[in-house]
Amino acid sequence: MASVYLLILKRFIFFTLLQGLIFNNFDFFDIYDPYICLVFLITFPIKINKITFMIISFFFGFVLDLYSDSIGINAAACLSIAFLRSYILSFVFGSFYDPHGIKLIKNYVTESTFSQKFLYLSSIIIIHHLIIFSLETFSFNFISLVIYKTLITFSISLIFCTTFIYIMIENEK
Amino acid sequence: MQQIIDFIIRKKDVVVYFILLSLSLALILNSNYFQKSKVLLLSNNISNYTKENLNFFNEYFKLKEVNFQLSEENLDLKNKLEKTNINTGLDSLRNLNFSYKNAKVISNNLSSFKNKIIINKGSNDGVKSEMGVISSNGIVGIINNTTPKFSSIISILNIEMKINAKVKRTKHFGTLEWDGFNTRHLMLNDISETANIKVGDTIVTGGMSLIFPEGINIGIVSEIINQNEFNDSVVRFVGNINKAKYLDFEFKENYLNVEVKLHNDISNLNNVYIIESFNKQEFQKLKE
Repeated sequence: MASVYLLILKRFIFFTLLQGLIFNNFDFFDIYDPYICLVFLITFPIKINKITFMIISFFFGFVLDLYSDSIGINAAACLSIAFLRSYILSFVFGSFYDPHGIKLIKNYVTESTFSQKFLYLSSIIIIHHLIIFSLETFSFNFISLVIYKTLITFSISLIFCTTFIYIMIENEK
Repeated sequence: MQQIIDFIIRKKDVVVYFILLSLSLALILNSNYFQKSKVLLLSNNISNYTKENLNFFNEYFKLKEVNFQLSEENLDLKNKLEKTNINTGLDSLRNLNFSYKNAKVISNNLSSFKNKIIINKGSNDGVKSEMGVISSNGIVGIINNTTPKFSSIISILNIEMKINAKVKRTKHFGTLEWDGFNTRHLMLNDISETANIKVGDTIVTGGMSLIFPEGINIGIVSEIINQNEFNDSVVRFVGNINKAKYLDFEFKENYLNVEVKLHNDISNLNNVYIIESFNKQEFQKLKE
């Protein structure tokens, strides 16, 4: 169990630095940044209980906030993803999902169909982006701006997250 | 009572979620300028030092571009010096209204709707909030918060920012705003329909607020959108995805909306100048 927490700590430091120092300055078409930090939440070990997961991801979001000078926005988004992930997993994978975490997250990614992988990644990314951008504007006047920006940032984030998860699985072999 | 406790134990995930969510929402809602500066002081210590060290390497990749910009600026300043040498008889202290300080950009991010820039001069160097910031090509923003070593600027690419500007040729005043996407264009609103504005006119700062001196170049007019014409062809506009962004603006009757192309590129800023106004307190007193 201790080795799992050590792995989480390593990933926590790695992904906050990667997002805060490199990918926040990526500036695709000047204003779109990929959110590579979502890989931390997508590949978080399932056997950790949900309350610990929510507390860890809250602080994960808070550290990201320090790098982007937006207090509380990333924390709320990451927390919501941590809360919703078990429902998304059971919805997408159906009977293949077991909440006790005997199967690793690697099994879900490698032993599922293409549409399941796509649905799992894209639902997490879209929910995260919608929360971040709507909290950032915090008014209904800019709702079309939020949707437009969510869709474009989603497509960039999806490419980067997929590539990153693929590299992680190849490395473990 | 027993049932309530049972319910809480059964739904403890949801309870913890809502406690943490309300904590983060409280952080967002309560972040007015005072509290935000307290948290920013903490975050400056953690994140700005790592950013500054990383910038040390990144600067080398931009050296060529910076050199070019500086030589252009030198040329411009030399030309101005020539012009002022003619009027050496005038007392220069009498007309001194603004002083300039230079600073370097540490972090600059355009991906948010409310963009901020952080520079390496703070209250130790005499920087205060509500000072204007310009670059060699145009305006950059207004200083928002200062810590002893750093200060943060609200960039002009911020959906809440409103800057007073005017058309240089016709002297019509308006308000500059950002539409949220296009980093090279701003919208100049509240100009009356009777103003004879053409594509290609120069837009300069208005000098109404003493944050910016009058007559700093901002950009040129690239497109004029007329509200009355817009109403007639609104059905065609909705079908056109490129024009969909204009639907977010509140169009007023008998006012023009002018798209302004900026002279400076906010995404590759390096050196900026902070403007301090000497007459600001006097001006504020008169306004009250």
